[in-house]
Amino acid sequence: MSSDRQAVVARHLAKEVSSGTQTLTILHDVSLSLPAGESLAIVGASGSGKTTLLSLLAGLDRATRGQVLLDGVDLGTLDEDGCARLRAGRVGFVFQSFQLLAGFTALENVMLPAELAGYADAPARARLALDSVGLSARLEHYPAQLSGGEQQRVALARAFCGEPAILFADEPTGNLDTETGARISELLFDLNHQRGTTLVLVTHDAQLAGRCTHQLRLRAGRVI
Amino acid sequence: MSGEASALRFALRRLRRGWRSGELLILLLALLIAVSASGTVRLFAERVRLALNEGSSEALGADLVISSNRPLPEHLRESARAAQLRSAEVLQLSSVVFAAEVSSLASIKAVSADYPLRGTLRLAALPYAPAQDAKGPPQGAAYVDAKLWQDLQLQAGGEVAVGELKLRVAGVIENEPDRGNGFSDLAPRLMMNRADLDASGLLGPGSRADYRLYLAGAREAIARLVPAQPEHGLRYTQPQDARRELRGVVQRAGQLLDLAVLAAMLLAAAAVAQAARQYGEKQREEIALLKCLGASRAFITRALLLQLLLLGLAAGACGALLAAAGQSALAALLQSSLQLALPPVSLQPLLGAVALGLLMLLGFAAPPLLSARNTPVLRVLQRAAESPGAQRLSLLLALATAALLLWLATGDAQLALRVALGTALTLGVLALLAWLLVRALQPLRRGGRRGFALRFGLANLARRRGATVAQATGLGIGLLALLLVSVVREDLLDSWRNKLPADAPNQFLINIQPEQREALQAFFASHGLGTVKLWPMARGRLVALNGKPVDVESFDDPQTRAWINREFNLSWTDVIGSDNVVTQGQWWGEAGRGQAWLSAEEYAIERLHLKLGDTLTLDFSGETQTFTVHNFRKVDWGSFKPNFFLLAPEDAVGEAVPRQYIASFYLPAARRALLRELVAQFPNISVLDIDAALRQVRGLITQVLRALEFVLLFTLASGLALLLAAVEATRGQRQRETALLRTLGASRVQILAALMAEYALLGLLAGAVAAIAAQSLAWLLAVQLLDIPYGPRPLLWLLGMLAGALLVMALGWLSLRGSLRTAPRQVLAG
Ligand SMILES: Nc1ncnc2c1ncn2[C@@H]1O[C@H](COP(=O)(O)OP(=O)(O)O)[C@@H](O)[C@H]1O
Ligand SMILES: [Mg+2]
Repeated sequence: MSSDRQAVVARHLAKEVSSGTQTLTILHDVSLSLPAGESLAIVGASGSGKTTLLSLLAGLDRATRGQVLLDGVDLGTLDEDGCARLRAGRVGFVFQSFQLLAGFTALENVMLPAELAGYADAPARARLALDSVGLSARLEHYPAQLSGGEQQRVALARAFCGEPAILFADEPTGNLDTETGARISELLFDLNHQRGTTLVLVTHDAQLAGRCTHQLRLRAGRVI
Repeated sequence: MSGEASALRFALRRLRRGWRSGELLILLLALLIAVSASGTVRLFAERVRLALNEGSSEALGADLVISSNRPLPEHLRESARAAQLRSAEVLQLSSVVFAAEVSSLASIKAVSADYPLRGTLRLAALPYAPAQDAKGPPQGAAYVDAKLWQDLQLQAGGEVAVGELKLRVAGVIENEPDRGNGFSDLAPRLMMNRADLDASGLLGPGSRADYRLYLAGAREAIARLVPAQPEHGLRYTQPQDARRELRGVVQRAGQLLDLAVLAAMLLAAAAVAQAARQYGEKQREEIALLKCLGASRAFITRALLLQLLLLGLAAGACGALLAAAGQSALAALLQSSLQLALPPVSLQPLLGAVALGLLMLLGFAAPPLLSARNTPVLRVLQRAAESPGAQRLSLLLALATAALLLWLATGDAQLALRVALGTALTLGVLALLAWLLVRALQPLRRGGRRGFALRFGLANLARRRGATVAQATGLGIGLLALLLVSVVREDLLDSWRNKLPADAPNQFLINIQPEQREALQAFFASHGLGTVKLWPMARGRLVALNGKPVDVESFDDPQTRAWINREFNLSWTDVIGSDNVVTQGQWWGEAGRGQAWLSAEEYAIERLHLKLGDTLTLDFSGETQTFTVHNFRKVDWGSFKPNFFLLAPEDAVGEAVPRQYIASFYLPAARRALLRELVAQFPNISVLDIDAALRQVRGLITQVLRALEFVLLFTLASGLALLLAAVEATRGQRQRETALLRTLGASRVQILAALMAEYALLGLLAGAVAAIAAQSLAWLLAVQLLDIPYGPRPLLWLLGMLAGALLVMALGWLSLRGSLRTAPRQVLAG
């Protein structure tokens, strides 16, 4: 396990979508590589293809052309279940809209990935993770009983609970006010440093982007 | 292993959430109805079938009759005793009986004291006087029927000589349960005690008698007693073989019940499928998230199936409890109305119902729910990401399950297949109709200045054309059930009941001589009974079939032998009654006059293995005549009108052949005394009173109707559940739209009006669809099953559409009432 191993590699990625008879290319020939433990900010205007690129890198969608290596594994060789297995335990996610399960308590939400990865100590891990985002008092609360910032902290705890090697975040502060957003990004980078996680971040926030070791700017689906 | 455990944990958590939010309610409700309906109804239908059989047992006087023309072997009595059956001995023979100077040939029936085992013997002091229930005559006594009383010119307290024995006449038989409709046994009756028979000396060597053992008791015990291949010379008769006119009623009743049960189950199944699909829809976002978090397809499958299984067990347990309660309620209801002692609620059918519930889940709920697995994981990032539909497979699976369910429920594979295919066809037609109607609405959208509400409603329906068609179809089926249960039921069942109106002929006159016809009509006219129709009849013996001489020994089948032994009744006519249907060949009409043709009824065809073109040679007391079978007929014996196995054209039977006439008419019970006058004036005419037989059939029909009414309650509940599920289908979407409209500044009244307009339109659509289907189904039922005419019912259409609009509006209002009150922010945020 050398430290200069590449966590995320993309080669000539392209994505086309077809609506009826028309084919639209929403991502043109993107290549990148990100060494383990470092961080990448994907920036660009709304509609420039940031989320599309993130979904391809995380194996949530299939590229029309090109190749993605995640933690050294070629995603093109895996089926849907294979991708899911790869994500379980090794990949974490934070979303703009939090994406917590409404019927599950904070604790239940956080331990879900660890449970899916088959860790026997999932509840203990989840408690620790919630503690590390300062929510140890809110274990039994449901998402509806938490503020936006608190919900995103739960989501962060969930992302780190499975001890992922790579964390993907799609505009994690986009739904929060500046102050809360700043606190969340602080937390994000803290956890990232503590655990040496590789971070792929989509953001509008120049300051947040500036804290990443790498930046990738998109315009109309092309790297500029 | 831990994967299993966490799938279970996930399923439990998800259910808890579903329970709290109420999204499980409809699925649970539909399951509950399905399980309790099948639990209650299956058992119930079984019991009603039993009761119906019991009803026809009355017509046999027993549950089983074993008969022979030789004394019955002792081992039969022994095995009956061993099986703890009740039994009675009956012996029947012909002999001349005397009273003072007068004598008459009588059919003598010697019975043991327990006779009859089923049904009641009714006895009066004088002919046509009020009667009471009775058992077989005690030793030393005889009961006679009105005809014998008349023939022997008996007086109250008179005596008759039977062989070497003198018997006191102790009563006049008004109704003998096992006498049938009387045509097969026209000789006047004398009933005496079996123990007196030896002393009479009638049973001498060479005497011809019919020995019978009547048995009654537990159904299984009876069934065990009937061998697959009867011993030579023994004949086993069970209620279902006994009386053709009852057999028709019982058969139809059974089929109607079956159909009602099937309808309830199919509707519940549709509601289950509908609700399961929605439950799956609501889990799509979560499923995408789970996949994103690394859950495998297998995990998601397990989690979904576990939810279903847990739901099924819960609904199964509650449903079984409900079914048990339902059964007890029924037992109470039936004990009085069907006079049937019902066994206590048993566990086995309840377990069966639970199993059925689980099967339903597997076939109807699992496929649509599992299709939520196909949600693309990308949906976590893009709400619009749509999933490929697997509707067709779900539909096929549902259809196969439906067929299996139907088969399990009825045990009749052919019926199950037919109903399943019919259902699929109905669904297809409904969907097509809904599609056409939605298309027809299209132009309305553009035309001019309509209110916001109507435009919004129309636009919504047209925009979601696929969903609208699906929803209108679902609603249509629900409404169809309601229409069938309410309007059509009345209609159909009333006309069934009315096939035997209160003034249906209840008296038959037999042996009317040609020269008595005018005098008889005059008698009727003078008593205000109008004219009566007279049927001509000649009695002949079959002597040759296709030119080959035949007698009793030419046939093995005991029924055929019994029939050949009697004389055939041949009638002739140009026109057949509405209770006759020609099944093969052509009816001759007036063109047949003078032709030596025959029309053969199913019974004759079966007994003699007839083909069109066969010839029958009949000997009419010395006059021999040969006829060619010209067509086949089916008779509805339930009409209680005079009918004949063999008919010939007018003038086909030679002038020299002796003939007589029979007539039927209605006589109110209060005027029964008139019969005495009639017999006094026409002593040779026999009166056959079929009032009791008519009452039996009417009683059966009433019981069936009551049973149906109960079963239809479940059908109704299933229909409502389906309606609810169909309305709920679009609730989430509508909630969002409502919230959006409110943020855009629409007032609550405006939104409510718009929604109600949409629901009203949808209800009208569904109502029209349902009315069309109800009309066709009713027609099918009427013509195919109940044999009654059925025409278009314009009111049904109006009612269907009106009820559709109102019901769907009411249900829609119920389902969206909450979201109109909550702040739009909450709906849009979620
Ligand atoms: N499935 C799709 N079909 C059609 N267009 C799409 C689809 N997914 C994304 N797009 C388009 O591709 C472009 C990039 O989208 P996205 O990656 O979501 O942008 P960003 O995240 O940078 O705002 C947008 O113009 C979007 O409309
Ligand atoms: Mg985006």
